[in-house]
Amino acid sequence: MTNGDASMGNTRTIVSLDNIEKSFGDNVVLKDISLKVAKGEVVSIIGSSGGGKSTLLRCATLLETFERGSLAYGDMIVARKEPDGRAVYLGKDILKQARLKFGLVFQNFNLFPHRTVLQNVMDAPIRVQKRDKGEVEKEAHELLSKFGLGGKENMVPCELSGGQQQRVAIARALCMNPEILYFDEPTSALDPELTQDVLKIIRDLAKEHMTMVIVTHEMTFARDVSDRIVFIDKGVIVEEGSPEQVIDNPQHERTRSFLRKIYD
Amino acid sequence: MSASVKAAIKQGLFTALALSLVTTFVSPLFAGALTTDVTTAKGNETGSDNILGGTPTRVTWEAVVDEGEQVVGVDVVYPQGSSFSDESSIKVTVLDGTTRMNPENTASLDAATTTAKVNFSEPLQSGLRLRLEMYKVSLPNVDGAVSLNGTYKLADGTVKDLGASPSIEVTYASVAEGISNWLDQQPFVQAWNSVTFLRLFFQPQLIVSSIPTVATGWLISLGLVLVGFPLAIPLGLIAAFMKISKARILHILAAIYTGVVRGTPLFLQIYIAFFGLPLLGININQYVLSILVLAFNSGAYLCEIFRAGIQSIPKGQFEASRSLGMSGTQTMFSVIIPQTVRRVIPTMTSEFILLYKDTSLLAAVGVMELMLYSRSIVSLTGNMTPYIVAACFYLIVTLPLIRVVGNLEKRLALADNGGGAPKKKRKGRRDAFSQMREEISSTTETIEAAEQKVAEVQVETAAAMAGDASVAIDTNAAAARAQERHEATPTDTDERGDAS
Repeated sequence: MTNGDASMGNTRTIVSLDNIEKSFGDNVVLKDISLKVAKGEVVSIIGSSGGGKSTLLRCATLLETFERGSLAYGDMIVARKEPDGRAVYLGKDILKQARLKFGLVFQNFNLFPHRTVLQNVMDAPIRVQKRDKGEVEKEAHELLSKFGLGGKENMVPCELSGGQQQRVAIARALCMNPEILYFDEPTSALDPELTQDVLKIIRDLAKEHMTMVIVTHEMTFARDVSDRIVFIDKGVIVEEGSPEQVIDNPQHERTRSFLRKIYD
Repeated sequence: MSASVKAAIKQGLFTALALSLVTTFVSPLFAGALTTDVTTAKGNETGSDNILGGTPTRVTWEAVVDEGEQVVGVDVVYPQGSSFSDESSIKVTVLDGTTRMNPENTASLDAATTTAKVNFSEPLQSGLRLRLEMYKVSLPNVDGAVSLNGTYKLADGTVKDLGASPSIEVTYASVAEGISNWLDQQPFVQAWNSVTFLRLFFQPQLIVSSIPTVATGWLISLGLVLVGFPLAIPLGLIAAFMKISKARILHILAAIYTGVVRGTPLFLQIYIAFFGLPLLGININQYVLSILVLAFNSGAYLCEIFRAGIQSIPKGQFEASRSLGMSGTQTMFSVIIPQTVRRVIPTMTSEFILLYKDTSLLAAVGVMELMLYSRSIVSLTGNMTPYIVAACFYLIVTLPLIRVVGNLEKRLALADNGGGAPKKKRKGRRDAFSQMREEISSTTETIEAAEQKVAEVQVETAAAMAGDASVAIDTNAAAARAQERHEATPTDTDERGDAS
């Protein structure tokens, strides 16, 4: 074993997707995609719209089911790959446990409009994880004030700006203490001025070694924050590597043309 | 047969016995006196011959001077509770057979003692008939028989008691009947009623006198719908869950229920329930059955309202709660239903209005409700006014509710399409609002305005299609989709009101 392998061995794999294939009807959206994310790693998924980035994220977060391949969170197998490649999902209990391993931040925040900011953050830990209310409340307050939302606990989402709502959504996901946090284009619905607030929080989380997978169109941000960039186009991983490799020195023609379009 | 004959004989015997007793005790009083043989009052209730108490009427009192008597004066005393007014008057007539005599007399009505006093300068000879007609006097407001008493004076100065007069059946007059009868006398009412249309549709006396009756029916109609509608809510909710359920059999059952109930007239359903169940030997109290039929019917409509309401919640809400690890039940009860309630309240209120109006169909099977009560007066008087009164009783419930629905829908449309609209009503939240405003770039505002216009047009189109619940919900769904697309823009602060 080389030194490199040893260091890889020390870092636990949080999520691994193997040979994923997913189609909507006749339209194959993901073709034989494999992705592993290690603990503490920040992976950004880039690519043009309709390329399958969000679908991949939705497959990983169990919002969509894939037909072929396997999915595992750590040692917990969520979808098993049959010898013929077909994916077989495990029981409801396993899926429920798996959902507690990750947090998901949506493009449209999807806060509960009928609950206050604090309730949005506290509901799931109390109801789903059955944690102590006082403890959860303390943690929720800490998270909210850390994200610059102190004093807004009793407001309802519609009273907040988009940036504030997205920060609440991140706090809501974090309050579940997930092992990994997924972001599905977290700033796409935001105005440019508000984008930075949200990106700053993600950068801070990266510094704290939060494991994250981010689907994004913000190239500068992706280069700064990521350990690894994955470029997906037409349902396949075209190129994968460090930000320097993929963004500054792309090998594939498709990556180059995509980046050209972005920067023009 | 023989039993009823026996009963008739028994009754006859009793009557005979009673009559003989009365004659025995009463007759001596009349002997050798002024015999009161007529006491009547003119019917004073609109549309009937009833004599209402406490209401001015004309009382006619007649007595015959008996053999060997010479009467110089009569005091006719009205029973306790009678009253004379300034307009009351008395007319004295003396008849000899059919010949009208005009003996000199003084006649007066004493309001304090409610006594009619008549004195003659020449004594009345035996065989003469004395008739007193007292105008605009009121008898006591009681239910039952009243009679007049009094005294008469003979030429030799002796005063004797008058025997009890024949009794007058008085009917208790309610306040409304009192007012109605007062209106009867008013010149402006008479002028109003001289117009045929006004008399037939808006007769003031009938408006007043039919209100108590129609109000009884109104309470029953309201009661039926107030009990029936809450029963329909769980029914509709269960059916809605069945309809969105993945289990095919549940879906089919719910679809049959809503399809059949919504696809057939309530009128037919009422007929089947009211005439079909007794055929099966099932006899239920008609009010209970009414409530059950109404609930069963409304449940199907509510099912569609709830289903559409649940499906109008943005998909992101399901996904968010799913990704937070909530189970299907938790998602339903803590995330989806609270938001659905807000969305379906306007359409539910519309459904309540429809159901309330539909209680009138129960009149067809003889359930005494608003419609049937008013019809009973109409068939008695041949006048349309009670129907107009009934219309008013429907409207006092429906009009405010229609207004409520309008306001709720407006608020919902605003909440769904982001803020920006009426600032007037939001004084208390100005600060939060302007703060939000600052954060929004001008571009977003333009898009937002355009977006809102689109949604407004959608709402108007739906409103034009009038009353169809599913259309209204579709609008909500459309607005919800608009919201989903633009959730980046802050939504209306009104939503706060619904935060539990």
